[in-house]
Amino acid sequence: MASLAKLFRSDAPSAPGVRPTRLWSYRPKSDREAGDAITSNFLLHWFPAKVSKASMAWSYSFWLGTATAALFLLTILSGLPLLLLYVPSVERAYQSVKDIEYVITFGRWLRGVHRIAAHGMVILVVLHLARVFFTGAYKNGIGRNQHREWNWVIGVVMLLLTLFLSFTGYLLPWDQLAFWAVTVGTNIASSIPWIGPSVRELLIGGRAIEQATLLRFYVLHIVFLPAALGVLFAYHMWRVRKDGGLARADREELAEVARVAAPSATKTYTLLGVARGTAPAVTARTLAAPDTTVNAVPDLARRAMIVTLATIAVISILAVFIRSPLEEPANALVTPNPAKAPWYFLWLQEVVTDTTVHLGPITINGAFIGGVLLPGALITLLTIWPWLDRSSRAVTGLWFPAARRTQNLVFILVLLAIVVLTFVGMELRGPYWDFYWPWEAWPAVPTRI
Amino acid sequence: MEQRTRSPYPRLDRPTLAFVGALLILSCVLFFASDRAHDWRYYQDEFRREVGEKFGADETVPGGIQQIWVPGLRRADRCVTCHQATSWKGFERADEPFRTHPVEPLKLHPVEKFGCTSCHGGQGWAVDVADAHGEIAHWEEPLLSRWLGESYSLAGNKGALIQMNCNLCHRYDRETKGADAINLAKRLVEEKGCRACHTINNRGGHIGPDLTRVGEKAPEQYDYTRLSGQRTAFAWHVAHFKDPRALSAGSVMPNFNFSSEQAQALSMLVLSWRPADVPAEFLSGAPRTDTPTPEQAADEERMRSGPGGWFVQTGCFVCHSLSVFGVKSPAQIGPDLSNAVEDVQSRFGRTIDDFLREPSGTMAVVLSRQIILSPAQKEIAVTKLREAFAEYQKQRDAARAKSKRP
Repeated sequence: MASLAKLFRSDAPSAPGVRPTRLWSYRPKSDREAGDAITSNFLLHWFPAKVSKASMAWSYSFWLGTATAALFLLTILSGLPLLLLYVPSVERAYQSVKDIEYVITFGRWLRGVHRIAAHGMVILVVLHLARVFFTGAYKNGIGRNQHREWNWVIGVVMLLLTLFLSFTGYLLPWDQLAFWAVTVGTNIASSIPWIGPSVRELLIGGRAIEQATLLRFYVLHIVFLPAALGVLFAYHMWRVRKDGGLARADREELAEVARVAAPSATKTYTLLGVARGTAPAVTARTLAAPDTTVNAVPDLARRAMIVTLATIAVISILAVFIRSPLEEPANALVTPNPAKAPWYFLWLQEVVTDTTVHLGPITINGAFIGGVLLPGALITLLTIWPWLDRSSRAVTGLWFPAARRTQNLVFILVLLAIVVLTFVGMELRGPYWDFYWPWEAWPAVPTRI
Repeated sequence: MEQRTRSPYPRLDRPTLAFVGALLILSCVLFFASDRAHDWRYYQDEFRREVGEKFGADETVPGGIQQIWVPGLRRADRCVTCHQATSWKGFERADEPFRTHPVEPLKLHPVEKFGCTSCHGGQGWAVDVADAHGEIAHWEEPLLSRWLGESYSLAGNKGALIQMNCNLCHRYDRETKGADAINLAKRLVEEKGCRACHTINNRGGHIGPDLTRVGEKAPEQYDYTRLSGQRTAFAWHVAHFKDPRALSAGSVMPNFNFSSEQAQALSMLVLSWRPADVPAEFLSGAPRTDTPTPEQAADEERMRSGPGGWFVQTGCFVCHSLSVFGVKSPAQIGPDLSNAVEDVQSRFGRTIDDFLREPSGTMAVVLSRQIILSPAQKEIAVTKLREAFAEYQKQRDAARAKSKRP
């Protein structure tokens, strides 16, 4: 207890060069303490010291990135206990998930949190990407060494990683839903010309979905993909700081530059006499005009906390009320009807169906169009869009500016099409992938007895 | 120290944070409550109270989730979490879930060795009422209870469905004590000569599908288009036994005019014919073969050496008797062949030679799938049938003369 108290005490005896406490003070009493607060504060290394009020606004970013990060944190936190309970073997996986559902204390809730957070992450990553697109936040403002376009590319990669993380997790319960969703998903992958079958074989570790697939997906799910996402997340955050915060922060700068022809004075810095330059985030204006900025701690930290905790609370409450599905044990001999891909790939499955055309004896297989051509083209376009977008940098960080009307409109339409196709695939497709209106009942699924 | 910037945020954000905090506390309360709210906690409290009333406070009742783990059958049956009275004496007349298990079946099937679900069905993993009894989506082995029997309007014993699970291990028994429906069905299989067309336990014909493992056919693999009512494999079989052609068009399976009880018993039997993945120690002591009885074998040998031996060797006798030569078919599905010569003429308007050369109807299926005869063999058949008919006429005339004689 004494050592614990010492940890928090600020008047502990100290030698020169040794900091008196290990934790930083929320209300520094001296410059020394204030300095310590900065050098030892993780949040201050993550956040800038000052942040523009405009980029704090709820209505600018909707804090979607923060909420996504909170969901990622939540999947990791809920995944850790599941690691101790789940057995990645085809004989025991299903049984271990049943045990998690029925007899493990809080097991059902843990699984619910993990699942809902993962699905929520897919949704929020897409919404975050849409927000960045609509506000042109991948565009560089006036700061030096800004590379927002590369952070956008990192973001697209993180979207793909999120989808793959969710997809690998889908197989783990080893029930019919998992088995056939992964069957459909990997079959779509095998429609890539020439290398398709090899890609599928690499993905599932053989030619059939079996123990090798389960182990492969499991290890990807718990080690490689979260690690990759974590590293990219750190880099994503670091780039946001290097680029001078949210694109919204550049708005005032740009407005100012437009009014005053002369370049504004900037605060220069040197670091150990090695690096010297102008910090992009801390320009003279932000220092000279405290009205437009606030301290990151506590204002930004508090809001980040609100968003993170609110996300955790909402997911936790949802997990109490929404039960995670678990169907019959996986059976390669019985195809459930309909067999559906995971919901975020259902728009592709729908496109595959709609582009499969039977012309008499000739069948044009839609798998290539829906499974490869369309998603490939969309991802490529998305990745290189910052270089294709030729609009003025003056509209950086602005919602729906007139200068970007056409591209925003096209983006909305594509997004809407994806949402509609996903809805059709999820709700309106019944047995044999036949179309059913919501008020039409599907034929009952037969049972043994 | 640098001056703090005036911030407009705390005024609104602090209450928001407080609200989020309250939401977090609520979520904690909710998930704790949801974990406490399992049905079994209520039933255990009830049982503890009942035991207290009956036997006094000295008796202790184990609390928490209870399970019977049978590694050999890969079962962890948590039924006893609520059904705590199964091994207690004195609750024989109580209502479920607090009733003592009947002692008789447990003598040969101790619950520690067999678990609960291996006989009763249901979902042993679950500890909530609906889930444990398997009355939920995606659980294919519901509790084989009296209530399920009532939902099928079983004609005989409403609790008979459990006998399907008896027969998983007792499939080679000719008769199993306590499994009346299954015993009835097994007798019907012998009487009606199902083996004439179907292979059962690796013995029988090839006209119909092999039934040795028919019980493992997935419910999705049946064709329900002609079935009205419940869409289950069991309902399909019942309807099919009552009228094969109504369910499967073009089937050559005869309609045996089974009663509801018989059709239901047969459906239970065929659904129990699936590979039982159980170690040998759990199987019944009966020899794991299904050979003809000594009487059947002796009968067949006697007929084989008699004048109608040819029909026994060829397999015709499986369905047809040839009474004039002393050949008696065990199944008697088809007409007696003694008067086939005139019978074929009256039924089909064709001579027996013509009919055997190009058979129609069921015989077309039989003679193309099961009994393949060369033209020379068909000649022999016709000759033998004519001999039989001559004998038939002789016997008929003698009988007529006898009846005319005063």
